[in-house]
Amino acid sequence: MSLTDTAPQARRRDLRIPLAAILVVAALAAPFIGTRYVTHSLIIALIFMLPAHGLNLLVGYTGLLSLAQAAFFGIGAYTAGLLAVHYDTPFYVNLLAAGLVSGLLALPLGIPALRLRATSFVMCTLGFVIIGQAIAKNWISVTRGDMGLSGIPKPYFELGPLSFTVTGTTSFYYLALAVAALGTLAAWAIVRSPAGRNMVAIRENETLAESLGVPTWRYKLIVFMISAAFAGVGGSLYAHYLTVVSPLTFQMYYSTTMLIIVLGGGAGMISGTVFGSLLFVGLTEALRVAPEVRMIAYGFCLLVLVFWFKKGFAPLINRFWNAIGGSK
Amino acid sequence: MFSTLLEQVVNGIVTGSVYAIVAVGMTMIFGVLRAINFAHGEYYMLGTFGAWFATDYLGLSYEASIVVGVLSTVVVAYVVGQLVMRRMVGAPAESGVLATLGVALILQNTVIFVFGGGYKFFSGGYIEPVSILGFTLAEQRIIILVVCLLVFVGLELMVTYSRLGMAMRAVSQNVECCGVVGIDVPQVVLRTFVLGAALAALSGVLTAPVNVSVYGGMGELITFKTLPIIIMGGLGNVRGTFVAAMILGIAESLVATYIGLQYRDTVGFATLILMLMWRPHGLFSTQARF
Amino acid sequence: MTRTITRRFLLVSAAVVSTTIGAGSMTTVNAAETIKLGIVAPMSGPNARYGGFSMHGAELAVKDINDAGGINGMKIELFNADSQGTPVEGVSATRRLIDQDEVSFIIGDVSSSVTLAMQPVAEDAEVLLLNAASSNPKITYQAGVGGFKWTYRNYPTDENRALVVAKYAAEQRGFTKFAVLSVDSDYGRSAVTFTKKYLPDFKGEILSEDYYKEGEVDFRSVLAKIRDNGAQAIIMYGLADTTPIIARQILELGLAGKVTLIGNGEFNTEKTIKAAPKAMEGAIEAAAWLPQYDSPASKAFVEKFTAAYNEAPNNHAYVHWDTVNLLAQAIKEAGSADKEAVREALSKIKYKSPVGDVTFDDHNQARLPMILLQIENGKPSIKGAYTAEIQYPAN
Repeated sequence: MSLTDTAPQARRRDLRIPLAAILVVAALAAPFIGTRYVTHSLIIALIFMLPAHGLNLLVGYTGLLSLAQAAFFGIGAYTAGLLAVHYDTPFYVNLLAAGLVSGLLALPLGIPALRLRATSFVMCTLGFVIIGQAIAKNWISVTRGDMGLSGIPKPYFELGPLSFTVTGTTSFYYLALAVAALGTLAAWAIVRSPAGRNMVAIRENETLAESLGVPTWRYKLIVFMISAAFAGVGGSLYAHYLTVVSPLTFQMYYSTTMLIIVLGGGAGMISGTVFGSLLFVGLTEALRVAPEVRMIAYGFCLLVLVFWFKKGFAPLINRFWNAIGGSK
Repeated sequence: MFSTLLEQVVNGIVTGSVYAIVAVGMTMIFGVLRAINFAHGEYYMLGTFGAWFATDYLGLSYEASIVVGVLSTVVVAYVVGQLVMRRMVGAPAESGVLATLGVALILQNTVIFVFGGGYKFFSGGYIEPVSILGFTLAEQRIIILVVCLLVFVGLELMVTYSRLGMAMRAVSQNVECCGVVGIDVPQVVLRTFVLGAALAALSGVLTAPVNVSVYGGMGELITFKTLPIIIMGGLGNVRGTFVAAMILGIAESLVATYIGLQYRDTVGFATLILMLMWRPHGLFSTQARF
Repeated sequence: MTRTITRRFLLVSAAVVSTTIGAGSMTTVNAAETIKLGIVAPMSGPNARYGGFSMHGAELAVKDINDAGGINGMKIELFNADSQGTPVEGVSATRRLIDQDEVSFIIGDVSSSVTLAMQPVAEDAEVLLLNAASSNPKITYQAGVGGFKWTYRNYPTDENRALVVAKYAAEQRGFTKFAVLSVDSDYGRSAVTFTKKYLPDFKGEILSEDYYKEGEVDFRSVLAKIRDNGAQAIIMYGLADTTPIIARQILELGLAGKVTLIGNGEFNTEKTIKAAPKAMEGAIEAAAWLPQYDSPASKAFVEKFTAAYNEAPNNHAYVHWDTVNLLAQAIKEAGSADKEAVREALSKIKYKSPVGDVTFDDHNQARLPMILLQIENGKPSIKGAYTAEIQYPAN
């Protein structure tokens, strides 16, 4: 590229705002465009988006590979399920309680776990999922063991005169969309804050960050708790949507699903996680065309992702975003 | 009372030796690749399936089926090694997790696709009980114990004296320098991987007669049992893995006896977490290598 | 560079979107002449070992019905959907069957927590959900007059089974000391809970209680404990593929003949008995069906299944095969494939299964004959068939 090329070319218009508007409209109109099956798939994407945002803060921003998300997801699901079944509390109470309980439990779990490095940390977090499942199975007086909690009531709101129950797939979609949108905003606010920059500093070089006065230990612990709270909130949506919570909620399959969403979309990027959850659900549902070879094909997709899209789809999204941004 | 305890310890050692043979392959792969292989149990499954196919379809003897099981796994592992594992040299940990998960899904579900999902019964081996020191054991379990000891002595010698063993140690110490002195790192990774997979398959074939049931998803459980072992043993540490496998085997056996079988699968990770609280770098290394 | 990458990105996303949407339009078979039946079962992952048998059983029944000219001239079209044994995937599979494939009838799932999550979905869409393999009592507690009008279960609950086994073991065999070794699932746990409810009536006591996780292979420690505590019988509500493992290890520990297995878990199949004949001798089982059951229909099923799939059918294969036939008869009696009419017909049906007559109670739970058998000289010997009404908790 020679210097003369920098002369202004024909100006292109900035298409970012119209595109964003189209996306918002599409998100709002989705239940009326597709079948209920499509709406359902989108709800699943939105439910998994929350724990994935939490994981992204850990993996993408702070550089900690954790497989514990399913454990906190399960804790959130049980918290919301138990409250709804026994005390019939409104949805926002269940949701906040699920986030709080998961986030607070992450403190005693995080203190020992975060002292570990790399592989030991990964295994320790995986251990939380396995032990969580054993507790859910054996603490029968509370969790009902393998019988699970079933018949979890539909989410309802009690806001004075404005009380309503969320019934039907379409309404639940809007509920999940609202929660996921708030979650995305919260994640965005965190990474845009000075704290977010410190997290990246820890990811890039922990020792250097420490020497520059970043309290790395406290940061890691707080991010671990926040990510758990995100997972807990996702768990509360899960409990209300599926109406069943069983020890199966604690399984590595969910942890890896969240990891696939984060890495597939692009770690260290909020829009990457949003895109990742849609991509993941789109892919697994599209593969239902061939049920017998579905998981084989899915395995191949993972390999393609790891070796050909090393940074996920984030660079592509970025370029696309910049390309339609018009020339300056 | 004491004899019960002793018997349970022996049971634990027998279980531990199955874990040990699988885990040592996984830990060696970790040593050269720094990646957790979530697909390792699948080679255990492949070995068992190979042997089942040999006895059930081809009508071969159990001894011949051991060879068939291990060799067919070696072939699969070679292909996977060439196409996947070699590429993982120097890749970040999260890519390793996803890539090996992908391999696990492909292997597991291909077997389900080809042979059908239903469980099969393995009908070979030496299952007659013999009496030793007052307890009874199936002959097959004694074979497993002996093979386990042979495997570990052999590996110890190989790692110390053979060319591949020395290259493996070099790669696990410093990948960049290996390139400088002319060690073909991907080749070492490939060979270590195939060796590890073959050991997992061997363990699968040896335990098939006492575990009886054969199905496509059986590898997953073994993967989860071996993960805590390789961390406890100190990643990449052959001797440490042996001791950790025995500790886990005995601990599981005691928990099953005195607390309840339902807690058994939790023992591995619970022990691991407790151990990490006490010694964050594993039982056998004074400092973290990975 | 930017442009090519953008284009590639667009292509990839377009491909994903179009496969998702396009998949629906591929299955446009003439709806008037086919009955669309969906089956949700775990077909990948570790639980595929049960889903595989379920699928084959259903496929065989569909093939036979279609070969015989269909039901009133209508052919059945079978759609299979993978649940992986997890509630999320199971609900997705159900949604897809309902909205994309437009099925009117669904059979599924094996795992109870998946079935429980599928119930509200089927209810919402008014699609008939026939369960053929989950034993969680809750499923029919909340069906029929209990709430979900569209859920039916053609599978025994654990309560009946537990009572029949405990009674026989205590009265006919005189056992009083029991040890529990059951699978750690809602099935194993709830069968044992029911057994505990009835055991005091027979002066029985439980000396130890253990549950094994799915896929467990090492029972030596627990069996040694049972040997030392002197239990006469092991209450085992277990998995079909684990029974032979336990039997072999009973043999290995020299417990064969000293302790008897009672409960359920395919004690009666030839392969299980062959795995450890001495350990299985005398075992007592209550089963909904067994391959050696002496009726022409049952024998024909075993023969056809073995010929088609090169392996002997198990209980999961049978119940799915049987449930397809049950549905076929309901459609025949309804005179059409209209969901509403078929549901009516199902509630009133008197279906002759290879084992006996099947009717449904007001909770849409099948009243099934339960066969009690004992292994004698390496062969199952039938000791009686029982049918009992389920007592539903008042609420």
